[in-house]
Amino acid sequence: MDDAEVLERLPLRPRDPAWGQLRSLRAASLAAPADPGAAAPLARRYFELALAEGDPRYVGYAQAALTPWTADSHAPAEILVLRALLRQYRHDFEGALADLAQAVQVDPQNEEARAWRAAIFMVRADYPAARRECDALAPLTDELRAAGCHAYLDATTGAARSAYATLRSALERAPQSGPAQRLWILTRLAEMSVRLGDAPGAERHFKSALALGRNDNFLLAAYADFLLEQRRPREVVALLKDWVRSDTLLLRLALAERALGLPEAALHTRVLGERFAAEALRGERLHLAEEARYLLELRGDPVAALAAAAENWKSQREPRDALVLLQAAQAAGDPAAAAPVLDWLRRSGFEDPHMKNLAASLR
Amino acid sequence: MRLALALALALACAPAVAHKPSDSYLALHAEAGALRGQWDIALRDLEYAIGLDADGDGAITWGELRARQADIARYALSRLTLAADGRPCRLEPGEQLVSTHSDGAYAVLRFAADCGTGPYGSLQVGYRLFSDLDPTHRGLLRVERSAGTVTGVLGPERPQLDIELAAASRLAQFADYAREGVWHIWIGIDHILFLLSLLLPAVLAYGARGWAPAERFSVVFWDIFKVVTAFTVAHSITLSLAALAVVQLPSRLVESVIALSVVLAALNNLRPVVFGRRWMVAFGFGLVHGFGFASVLADLGLPRDALLLALVGFNLGVEAGQLAIVCAFLPAAFLLRRHWFYRRVVFAGGSAAIAVVAAVWMAERVFDLKIL
Repeated sequence: MDDAEVLERLPLRPRDPAWGQLRSLRAASLAAPADPGAAAPLARRYFELALAEGDPRYVGYAQAALTPWTADSHAPAEILVLRALLRQYRHDFEGALADLAQAVQVDPQNEEARAWRAAIFMVRADYPAARRECDALAPLTDELRAAGCHAYLDATTGAARSAYATLRSALERAPQSGPAQRLWILTRLAEMSVRLGDAPGAERHFKSALALGRNDNFLLAAYADFLLEQRRPREVVALLKDWVRSDTLLLRLALAERALGLPEAALHTRVLGERFAAEALRGERLHLAEEARYLLELRGDPVAALAAAAENWKSQREPRDALVLLQAAQAAGDPAAAAPVLDWLRRSGFEDPHMKNLAASLR
Repeated sequence: MRLALALALALACAPAVAHKPSDSYLALHAEAGALRGQWDIALRDLEYAIGLDADGDGAITWGELRARQADIARYALSRLTLAADGRPCRLEPGEQLVSTHSDGAYAVLRFAADCGTGPYGSLQVGYRLFSDLDPTHRGLLRVERSAGTVTGVLGPERPQLDIELAAASRLAQFADYAREGVWHIWIGIDHILFLLSLLLPAVLAYGARGWAPAERFSVVFWDIFKVVTAFTVAHSITLSLAALAVVQLPSRLVESVIALSVVLAALNNLRPVVFGRRWMVAFGFGLVHGFGFASVLADLGLPRDALLLALVGFNLGVEAGQLAIVCAFLPAAFLLRRHWFYRRVVFAGGSAAIAVVAAVWMAERVFDLKIL
């Protein structure tokens, strides 16, 4: 082997701005490891990076910064919130809710803790509890964030049209809002447009969100799903070709490559399979919804896909979790397995023409 | 500002984003009192821990990795403790390579563990790699033992694993060796070709006008029965003698004679010298094939406490595998025996091809060459 041969490319280089920032945060935390004022910014920066890049190693680094408070129930509110974020990331929703409840007790004005509690209740499809958190959040925060919390909830529980209108006008009234917040709201508006059958509107919101120029794994995944549904795989390949590090995005990339009959599809399918196998070796299955889609759409194994989707539904109950379970149940010819999702559809009042058609075929 | 970001992030990202967290792959091979290991550690993790990217260009080259190999071995091995039956082992770093896993390039660190004289009943693995830097890091442990493979997951929540090296159960051990026996006869193409060379003429009879189809199935059946039994008895004798270290022959000699036996058996079909008593040929060369099986058994490692069990299990496995081949061959050959295709293509052509291939093996083994 040649000494100059490159074995690995690192995600961050010294000339990236994030690199210098992390370096100084890390130095501060190393100098005073028991100081929450030094640990919290470092953990938060790593966590943001994990979400932006879809790279879980940063979650581990964030957790390392919080080591002194691993089992400390009297930790400062900000540390409790961060600990909760890491817990929900590993799908320890009970632990995360407990940490957030503790944070609210220590600091009743902590809007972040309220927002996260609402988000976790949404994932668990506990809408009354999510509404209580949104109501508690409203007086603590500004109009845009309060509207975002309620709109997110309403759009899932049968009031998508009014939720869309409210959120959109709230965004128009807050031109000073920061890019991260705008990105989140634009992504939600795009999702709501899809649900309302307005593809051009969804496209516009996705494009505005991307134009903010921030890396966001969730936005890219949502836009790629939209493009795949619109049968525009070529644009998915262009969008995601440099995102193979993230499994969520690698899945979408492989689906697009397969739709186009590209040779890379086989390689990327194999790599995904290896990553799921590696995860199973760790004894963790954190992305069962993705694994179910991989099994269903790339491996053509609806029975295994249905098992993964059903297992996923036990802890994660968002619309996309519902969709993959319906699709797998249909492909496996097992409508009985879809019963919990059909029940959820009925009770939540979730509106999405595609999902409704699918559900009708399974009833 | 931090709080301003919060809600935005909160709702967008609550569902976990999928990905590959940090893992290392630790494989330990425990056999006949010796312990060696191979540890694959991601370059990205090593970069984070000790820094590999010397020129800071965001790319790790082979040259940069090579310069840090001694540091990598020191860093990693000081975070792994092995003990056999409670006695600590001394870890000796060996060569380092590079391999690729699904999330990128890994340094491959080989090492030997000196735990004093074996055999050991159990192995204690203590693991602290990256526990301070990334509590979500896991060491995926695989231990290859004579009693089969065991796996485990190591990490901050479970830094210590105790692995039983002694057999899990006698029955499981027996089944393992039987499986190895079946497997070995199926992948041992030279044994299969030898057997086939003896089986091919069984559905024919040799007379003044050359080979003609055999008339009755019972004749064919008894002929095959005698050949297979003779081969079995012969290789069981030598396999046992070699495994018990009563007789030992150099493997190159054994392998060469095995190839020769295939050549002669195949040629005998083309220009018969022995035809009535092929079972004697099967017996004679079967003795040599037994030594060949014994070398496989030696590679597998024989449990000291269950030598006979392993030997019988392996031998029965070989017989079962052999029987499966006969069962697949016999009905088809018997049905086809009157057809010109069987005599010309399968029998004559097949024998000739076997003779050629085996002759090449023989040349390779005698002169220690690599032709095929």
